[in-house]
Amino acid sequence: MATNPMHQFTVHRVGPEINIAGIDLSFTNASLFMFISSFCVCALLFAGTRKREIVPSKIQLISEIFYNFIAKMISDTAGSKAKPYFPFIFSLFMFVLFCNMIGMLPYSFTVTSHIIVTLLLAIFIFIAVTIIGFMKHGFGYLKLFVPSGVPALLLPLITVIEIISYLSRPVSLSVRLFANMMAGHTMLKVFGGFVISLGLLGGWLPLSFSVALTGLEILVAFLQAYVFAILTCIYLNDALNLHH
Amino acid sequence: MLEKKFKTRLKIAKSKLKKDYMSENDKRSSFMGSAFKIGTDLVAAVGVGTIIGFILDSWFDTKPWLIIIFFFLGAAAGMLNVIKVAKQMQKEN
Repeated sequence: MATNPMHQFTVHRVGPEINIAGIDLSFTNASLFMFISSFCVCALLFAGTRKREIVPSKIQLISEIFYNFIAKMISDTAGSKAKPYFPFIFSLFMFVLFCNMIGMLPYSFTVTSHIIVTLLLAIFIFIAVTIIGFMKHGFGYLKLFVPSGVPALLLPLITVIEIISYLSRPVSLSVRLFANMMAGHTMLKVFGGFVISLGLLGGWLPLSFSVALTGLEILVAFLQAYVFAILTCIYLNDALNLHH
Repeated sequence: MLEKKFKTRLKIAKSKLKKDYMSENDKRSSFMGSAFKIGTDLVAAVGVGTIIGFILDSWFDTKPWLIIIFFFLGAAAGMLNVIKVAKQMQKEN
């Protein structure tokens, strides 16, 4: 049981069973860690913005770095028109980042290693971006699927391909985050299992691998949150500044 | 006192500005992000194309044909995704 590398991903109930109209709504360890992540984000930002000194304290500096990082990313990729969407992208980035990072702690649970979580986030972004696009451009948003300068004979084919490409966005967005987190954590667990089974004599080699992989996983955890946020910005950019 | 504080803040802002111009580390992580993006974009489009073909097949009862056609269209869409990312990366450099 303990050496099964997939065992860490099991969702189990925490506390009493809640069953409403045949749907299991119990509080699970996944919900618990989502709460912990959101709480950590809120705590960091509340503590960071409580004093508001000219010379920032350490915690204020950290929250300022996060703020600047996201603000710069949005203005670089989506322009000034995307400013109203800053709160959404900021909370999205912080949530995914903290879920990934808290998942790196021993005995914790990685929420983002479940495709249902990432797919729901991605589908929400996809629908929101599509609605924003239609609101800003009306039916002109459909021009996104009809690139200019294509011969009329090829146009139906290209349009179908563009629509598939558009529909593949949420899938690619969610699978990327989920697969990276799950593969990384499984790999860490497999190498951890090697350490146990090789014992005191041969266990040092997988242990050193494990240490290196933990560093890599922390990089990946940050990078995937970054990619998730920057792709949201890019999709938003497509919806706000239609240029074809 | 306030002036001293303001000067420290200015120094922080200036050092940040300097870092922005030569953030080699930043660039590297953005390239790695693009690499992750290209990999999954290529595969996801094939999957989505195949699923669309499967659904249309069961709608129109044309069992193997649409799934085959949409598999190839999905592959084309995946390549289109990669081309789009590559073009954007070229524009940035």
